[in-house]
Amino acid sequence: MQGFLEFFDIYLVEAVINGILLGGVLALLALGLNLIFGVIDVTWICYAELVMIGMYAMYFIVQYYGISYFIAAPITILLVAVLGALLHYLVIAPLLTAPPINQLLATGGVLFVLQSFATVAFGVDFRNLGIRLPVLALGDMNFSYARLLSFAAALIAMVAVYLFMTRTFTGTAIRAISQDRQIMALMGVDARRIYLVTSALGGALAGLAACLLVLQYDVHPFVGLSFGPITFLICVLGGLGNFIGGFIASFVFAEIISLGGLYSDLEWGYVLAFAFFIVMMFIRPAGLLARRS
Amino acid sequence: MRVRKAARLFCGLIVAMAATGLAVSAQAQEKKIKIGVIYDLTGPLAGGGSELQYTGARIMLDQFSKKDVEGYKIEAIYADAQSKPDVAINEAIRLIEQEKVDMLLGFFSSAQCVPVAARVEQLKKFMWITTCISSAVLENKNYKYVFRPQASGDQFGMMTMDFIAQNAKQKFGKDPKDLRVAIIHEDGAYGVDVAKGNEAGAKKAGFNIVLREGYSATAPDLSALVTKLKRARPDVIFHTGYNPDITLLLRQAREQGLKFGALMGHGAGYGVYEKLKEGLGTDVNYVFNADPISIWLANQKAMDPKLPPMIQMVGEEFDKRKPGVAIRSAHVGMAASNTYVFLTEVLPRAIKKYGGVDPDALRKAALEVDLPEGGTMLGFGVKFHGEGTPMAGQNERSFPVVIQYIDDKSYVVWPKSQAQREAVLPLPKGTTYSNQ
Repeated sequence: MQGFLEFFDIYLVEAVINGILLGGVLALLALGLNLIFGVIDVTWICYAELVMIGMYAMYFIVQYYGISYFIAAPITILLVAVLGALLHYLVIAPLLTAPPINQLLATGGVLFVLQSFATVAFGVDFRNLGIRLPVLALGDMNFSYARLLSFAAALIAMVAVYLFMTRTFTGTAIRAISQDRQIMALMGVDARRIYLVTSALGGALAGLAACLLVLQYDVHPFVGLSFGPITFLICVLGGLGNFIGGFIASFVFAEIISLGGLYSDLEWGYVLAFAFFIVMMFIRPAGLLARRS
Repeated sequence: MRVRKAARLFCGLIVAMAATGLAVSAQAQEKKIKIGVIYDLTGPLAGGGSELQYTGARIMLDQFSKKDVEGYKIEAIYADAQSKPDVAINEAIRLIEQEKVDMLLGFFSSAQCVPVAARVEQLKKFMWITTCISSAVLENKNYKYVFRPQASGDQFGMMTMDFIAQNAKQKFGKDPKDLRVAIIHEDGAYGVDVAKGNEAGAKKAGFNIVLREGYSATAPDLSALVTKLKRARPDVIFHTGYNPDITLLLRQAREQGLKFGALMGHGAGYGVYEKLKEGLGTDVNYVFNADPISIWLANQKAMDPKLPPMIQMVGEEFDKRKPGVAIRSAHVGMAASNTYVFLTEVLPRAIKKYGGVDPDALRKAALEVDLPEGGTMLGFGVKFHGEGTPMAGQNERSFPVVIQYIDDKSYVVWPKSQAQREAVLPLPKGTTYSNQ
C-alpha cells in the first residue's frame, strides 16, 4: 500500500497534467500541418519556420511598437496566413503535379531560406517577449497559464476547424478536394482558390501557435528545430490529414514524454515516445485512428 | 622600322619580366601567418555566447593585424561552425586544406572541440582553443599540437562545489552530509564534463546528491525535470546549460513552483547576463556563475602592467561594436585574453627562436610559455601540461572563479583571494525561487 501511495504521489498528478498541457502545445502545432497534409497532400517541411516568423512578428509588434499583445495576435495570425498563401502561390502551386520528393525538397529549401532570412534580418540573439503570466496554484501543484492558454486555444481551434470543415461550403469543398483532386475541378470547384484558402488557413493556425508559443519560449532563428520534427511525427502517428487522430496523438506523445521523463531520465521520455512511434508504424501504419481496410 | 618594332618588343619584355620579378620578390618578402578562426555565428550557440567569443577574438586579431609580429603579418580567416559539430570539422578541414591556414584558433562548443582536435592533430596542424572546456578534448589523448589556455570543465564543476562546501555550515546551517544537491546538465561533452567535476566535488565534500540528470539542450519541454527537482527538494542546484534551455528550465521552474537555496551556473548561457535578464527578469538576481573571471573584474593591480591598457582597449572596442550592454560579458574577455596570450607569447617565440610559424615551431613555443599568476588578463598564469602527461596541452595554471549577479552587477565571490564581496547565500526570502 505504501509503495502504491508513493507511486501515485502528487508529482505524478502534476506530471500527468503537465503532459496534457504539453499535448495542447503539440496539438496546436499539428493542427495546421494536418490541414495542409490532408488537403493539398504536400509536406510543408518548413511549417515550424512559419511559426518562428510569427513569433518574431509578435516580438517586434509588442516590444518595438508597444502595441498590446491582444492587438498584436490577430495581426500576426493574419501575417502568417498571408505568408502561408504566398508559400503556396510561389512554391507549392508550380509543383502540385511534380513528384512528392520535389515538393519535399522545395519546402525544405524554404526552411533554410526562412532560417537564413531570420538570422540576417534579426540576428542570432535570443529574444523574449517579457510577458510573465501568473501561475495557477492548486495545493502543492502549480501550472503555467501560458500552457493552459495553449491548451484552450488548441481545443477551440480544433472545434472551429471541425465546424468550418463540416458546416461551411468552403469547408465541404476542401474536404471534397482532399478526397479527389481531379473530379472536383470537373464539378465546377475552383481548385486553385481552395488550395489558397487552405494554405492561408494552415498559415493562420501557425500564426496562432506562434502567438501562444512566444509566451513560453525565447525566439531565435532556430527555434523551429525544437518543434518541427516532433510535430511531423505526431501528424504521421495520428494519420496524415486526420485532425482528431493528430489531436489524440499529441496527447499520447506528450504523456509518454512527461511520464517517461518523470520515472526515468528526461531523455528516456523522448526515447520511449519515439519507440512508441516506431512500434505504432508497424501496427497501424496509416495512423492511430485509421480504419482497417 | 622592323628594328624599332623589335626594340619596343624587347623593352616591353624587360619591363614585364622586371614587374613579375618585383611582384614575386615582394610576395617572398611579405611574411604572414594565416589564422583560421572558427566560432558559431549562426545557430543556437551563437546567441549562447559564441558570437561574443568571436567578437573578443576579433577585437584582438584586428588590433594585431594593424602591425607586424616579429616581421609577420597577421591574416585571420573567419568561419562559421553554425552550431554543428560536422560543420565545424568541415570548416576546419577547408581552412587547412584550401585556405592553407597555418593554424586554427577559437571553438566555443566542446561537442565541436573533441572531434576537431582529433582531426587537426591527425593533420599535424597547430590548434589554439580559446573557449571550449570539456576535459574530453585533451584527457589521455596526448596530443602534440592542441593547446588550451582555458580552464577545463571539471575544474568548473569542482570550483562551485568547493564554494558551497566552504559555505554550507555558515550559510545553510547544515553539515555537508545533510546538504541536498542536484546536478543537472545539457547532455553534450561540455555539460557531461562539468557534471563530472560537480559529482567529484560533491563526493569530496560529502554532499547528499539527490538528483543527477542530463537533458538535450533543444528539448521543447523540461517540466518533467522540474517536477523531479521539486520531489528531490535540493538546497543547491548545480546547472550546466546553454541559453535557450536555461531560460526554459528557469521559466518552467517558476511556473511549477520549484524552490531552492542557490543556483550555481557554469559558464556558456550563464555567462550572458543580458539574455538571462531579458528572459527571466529579476529572477536572475543572486544567481551564481562559474567562469574565467571577466577581464573587467580581474584585479588589475596584481597584473602585468602592460595588460590593463589592453583590457581598456578591448572594453572600448566592444562598446563600439555592441553599444548599450549593461554588463560586458565574460565571454568577450575570455577569447580576447586567450588570443592575446597566443599573439604575444607563442607567436613571437616561435618566429624568433624556432624560425617560423610551422606547427612544430608553434608547438615548441607554446610548451615554453611560463606566465605566473597575474600574467594574463584573466588573472591566471599559463603553463601547459607537457607531452606524455594525462592532460597534455591543458593550461595547468588556469582556474575559473564564482561570480554572483546582484542588482544588474556581477561580483566575484569565490575564491576568497579574488572575492570582491560576500556572497548572498541562500536566496533571500521573498525572491521567486527562495525555499526559506
